[in-house]
Amino acid sequence: MKHIFVFDQDKCSACSACMMGCLDQNDTDLAAGDRCFRQTFDTEVALEDGGVHCAYISAACMHCADAPCIAACPVGCLSKDPETGFTVYDNTNCIGCKSCAMACPFGAPRYRASDGKMVKCDGCNIRVKNGLQPACVRACSFGALTCVTEEEYKAGGGVKACSALIDQLGLRRR
Amino acid sequence: MNKYAIIGFGGAGYQAAKEIRRLDPEAVIDVYSDTDTGPCNPMLTTYYVKNAIPYEALFPFGSLEDIRRDLRLQVHANRPVTGLVPGERKILFDGGEASYDRILISTGASAVMPPIPGLDLPGVFKMRTARDAVQLKKRLDSGEIKSGLVIGASWVGIKIVEDLVEREIPCTLVDGAPWMFCVAAFEETALRAQRDLESKGVRVACGQMLDHIEREPDGRLTAVMRGGDRFTADTVAVCIGVKMNTGFLRDSGVAMNRGVLVHRRMRTNFEGVYAAGDCCKALDIQSGTHRNIGVWYNANRLGAVAGANMAGCPAEFDANVLVNLAHYLDYDFISIGDVSACGPEDEVYEYEDEKYYIRAVRSGKQIKCINMTGTADSNGIVKNAFIKSIEAPEAGLDIKTICFLKGKGFPDGFINFLGGKSLD
Repeated sequence: MKHIFVFDQDKCSACSACMMGCLDQNDTDLAAGDRCFRQTFDTEVALEDGGVHCAYISAACMHCADAPCIAACPVGCLSKDPETGFTVYDNTNCIGCKSCAMACPFGAPRYRASDGKMVKCDGCNIRVKNGLQPACVRACSFGALTCVTEEEYKAGGGVKACSALIDQLGLRRR
Repeated sequence: MNKYAIIGFGGAGYQAAKEIRRLDPEAVIDVYSDTDTGPCNPMLTTYYVKNAIPYEALFPFGSLEDIRRDLRLQVHANRPVTGLVPGERKILFDGGEASYDRILISTGASAVMPPIPGLDLPGVFKMRTARDAVQLKKRLDSGEIKSGLVIGASWVGIKIVEDLVEREIPCTLVDGAPWMFCVAAFEETALRAQRDLESKGVRVACGQMLDHIEREPDGRLTAVMRGGDRFTADTVAVCIGVKMNTGFLRDSGVAMNRGVLVHRRMRTNFEGVYAAGDCCKALDIQSGTHRNIGVWYNANRLGAVAGANMAGCPAEFDANVLVNLAHYLDYDFISIGDVSACGPEDEVYEYEDEKYYIRAVRSGKQIKCINMTGTADSNGIVKNAFIKSIEAPEAGLDIKTICFLKGKGFPDGFINFLGGKSLD
């Protein structure tokens, strides 16, 4: 059953609790120069119309359906877990060539400082397989980050898209 | 029941076979290979030499037997195809011929060894195949090699330099071009890369064209350059490029310009005959012309696209852009786009700090080429922005990409140059 991370920017305050959950779950060694798989952003972006967009974003691997990192890896370290749909890896033969980073439009792969091997968000695959939420989702107090099955996403996504369209067209009854 | 032939079984051939099998479960798929191994990734050869991977890892999809079984292929190992009759979709091989509904040409490329005197001397080697890697590793492991000369600052040449330096073997790198990585790097970038190499003990000499190689009385080899300079070492690596394996198509009528020309769906000028990978020239979305882009990722994607179209499922690869990536001796260099398309009238952006060096060129909103060093973690983000700038130059950067770039420490000036705006 494929799983999808859903991020609702309207509910995010960039509090970075998701990062803390990720760091804890993956024992990320910041002192050694490693970086968290999940990143949060609190960034002001200038818009074409002269306005300013305050972006609150939480982002990690998007677990793309047709993940380009898989095709890019020269030694075949990356693959899809058929059970969860997450992009997972076995870096035993990783050569640290960074071809996966060149293919990823989101900058998801990281390189472990201690051995130069690629590591990345695996969606907390083992947690999800055992019926738990990913650590970042578990840590999000605002419900901005959720992880749902593809079926749940399709069912929920339609409602959300319709709601956004109603707002955009000014058709919502007050 | 459709009959498919795949000529040559590297990354592109494998991905095509996999896609055909997925979309056409009943198909007969014949694979013709000039080896009896699984698909080998040439990029891995130098990593095997430096003991980064075991021999088996040179074949990332597994053994030929495993692949044959899993994809239900009919494999003709050690049977190179000698000719093609494209109008009849017929292939010729030693002692026979066979006809198919659809044919894929995925014969890859080989290391160039031009007819220069001395290139056949013992101790002169190239690097492309698993056999090349085994031979070099054996020689280096023997401890007999006390000095090395690498001719060609190519993507494989620089990796052989790394192999030698990591074994503490004194090494010289020579190249015929005026600066290193000439097909991808601006002179300013190349000079930084050269200084970095020299700081690590590598002697670099550019603008040196090889005339011949001769053996010294003490058994060492000397590369004599056209200008008269002489470079002597125990072993010489010749890494001056590749040629596409298309000799068997000569006079076949298949349209070629050194590589096989294909349109967006990887079809040649003949119905039912396709090509993919390092033997073909696919459409480069930046220039709109046919180019060979010899990158593992592109070869794999082109193979999958060819396989889908051969099986009747229309597909295109819409991100075929020139990219060159070099990672060696803790130094990362990437070039995105076509350095040769840049001219003196273009706008240049340059930035340097303790971590990054960036040099980018654009004309109007169209980015032409970006060179970066030290940015490996972020290369995909920038490459994606580059592709978007080709597809929709007016669209600018999306907010997420701006956040990613800022989060990775890129300066606002570069983000703006790529088409974004940032206030922080």
